Amino acid sequence: MTAWEKARARTAPLFLLPALALLAVFVVWPLLRAAAWSFTNADLLAPGEARPVGLGNYIDLFTDARFLRAFGNTWLFALLVVPLQTALAFFLALWVDRPEPAWRWLRVVFFLPVVVSMPVLAVLWTLLYQPAQGDTMGLVNAALDLVGAPPQAWLRDPALALPAIAFMSIWQGVGLQMMVFLAGLQNVPRELLDAARIDGAGPWQRVWHVIVPSMRNTFVFVVTVTTILAFRIFVQPYLMTRGGPGNSTLSLVQSIYETTFVSQDLGRACAAALVFLALVGVLAGLQRRFSREDRE
Amino acid sequence: MNSAAFRNLLRWLLALAATAFFLAPLLWMFAASFQTEARIFAPGFSRWFDPAGWTLENYADAWRRVALGRGLFNSALQVLLVAAGGLVVNTAAAYAFARLEFRGREVLFALVVMLVILPVEVLAIPLFFTARDLGLTGGPVAAMAGLTVPFVAKAFNIYFLRQHFLSVPRALEEAAVIDGAGPWNLFWHVALPAVRPALATVVVLDLLAHWGDFLWPLMIATREESRTVQLTLANLFTQPPVQWGDILACAVLATLPVVLVFRLLQRHIVLTDARAGIK
Repeated sequence: MTAWEKARARTAPLFLLPALALLAVFVVWPLLRAAAWSFTNADLLAPGEARPVGLGNYIDLFTDARFLRAFGNTWLFALLVVPLQTALAFFLALWVDRPEPAWRWLRVVFFLPVVVSMPVLAVLWTLLYQPAQGDTMGLVNAALDLVGAPPQAWLRDPALALPAIAFMSIWQGVGLQMMVFLAGLQNVPRELLDAARIDGAGPWQRVWHVIVPSMRNTFVFVVTVTTILAFRIFVQPYLMTRGGPGNSTLSLVQSIYETTFVSQDLGRACAAALVFLALVGVLAGLQRRFSREDRE
Repeated sequence: MNSAAFRNLLRWLLALAATAFFLAPLLWMFAASFQTEARIFAPGFSRWFDPAGWTLENYADAWRRVALGRGLFNSALQVLLVAAGGLVVNTAAAYAFARLEFRGREVLFALVVMLVILPVEVLAIPLFFTARDLGLTGGPVAAMAGLTVPFVAKAFNIYFLRQHFLSVPRALEEAAVIDGAGPWNLFWHVALPAVRPALATVVVLDLLAHWGDFLWPLMIATREESRTVQLTLANLFTQPPVQWGDILACAVLATLPVVLVFRLLQRHIVLTDARAGIK
């Protein structure tokens, strides 16, 4: 190493320390603490007096009807949102992948709900989903009325509340996934598309046999990110339905929040948070596994 | 009508329908925020065209009922502090991981990458205790610190910026070294200008993401004077008496700043990983 390189290497701690110290205090330390608490009977008001309970909290979680309901709801939400949103985002990306300015305008329109904050949209869609009372009704029911369909109770109907929230979430998030697909589309080899066209492949055949296979990594990435985001759902049901009606929209995150601040059972809340983290970790691991294959 | 013209018409109709689907809720929010209470859910669409029902009263009323100005100020200060602080510490760390030689670099970087997927929802509960232990709750200044300091260092931003620093041509640096640049100059005058689009991107993403923060402020900013605008909105939404017009006015005011920031900075955003573009 030359003297110059040594001088440069000496600056490394200065560059690294602020970020690493903050990550250690505000990310790593809380995480370790949560892991430790999850094996104790820690209480919200006196976490210092916790006694070890082994795997007790984890076992309790899987016999806790409320947690299981939240877990099931969150899976159901992900199963509704991920396939629909991914497919819609892909087709929107194919549709607007054109150079003319009109399509750029359309891209901005599809992306706009991503920019608006989720709490605002949750409040807004609660108003849009207003059930009919006399002759007043929310915009969604008014639109149904326009095409002659009967009005629905939406967020107040236990069978419709979760699908209604899923619909609103797709409307909100699809623009972001569309942008990722648009970036991926730019990397589809032109030669392949031209060759397919010369061989007489129609537009749909080109999509299925050329574009989709060569965007495999983009698909895996989008599905993983959408799934993780779906599992993190909290704001929409918290503001729109408070988890109701009848726990039908209670989310995993809301159940963790309430276990901490309502039941004050910190140990069990931390166990639930770690189960949640394990789930996210498995998803991220699956993404790596499925996208590695066709890297060079 | 020949079939090409028909397909063209169909394409325009489809574009129009899609635009309506994505814009209608937002346009309704905006228009309804200027309506008298009785007209917001009134039937039919003709009412929108009667000027007699338009009013600014909702805005005045919302401003009076909750500390809306305070909420907007708190939110603006929060996102600016997170974005500015993050810009400094994450850029520095990313540069060290990309360009400086030190022992344990790869291991340390692998650890940082592992933190990328960690959702804030998992951390929120234990982080609440850490923030409390450090005195980052309570009065307005402490609560503002609690809203911002824990989110300044961000594993994803370090990862993202490192990829961009790696793609800065080595030749550019070597030329500067021959010209007598020291380590500091190399960072400041060569590396930083080369990754400017990536820096703009992390700032915009931070601004947008934290403006919509909800779970963490709900836990940490409990007093009225430290509430962010989203909490003010939620408060207006859940506390009786429910006034739809006030809620909509508050929602519009919570939306305009981010939409404006996005319109201004949108062309600077690069969504892809730098190395993906280089073959």
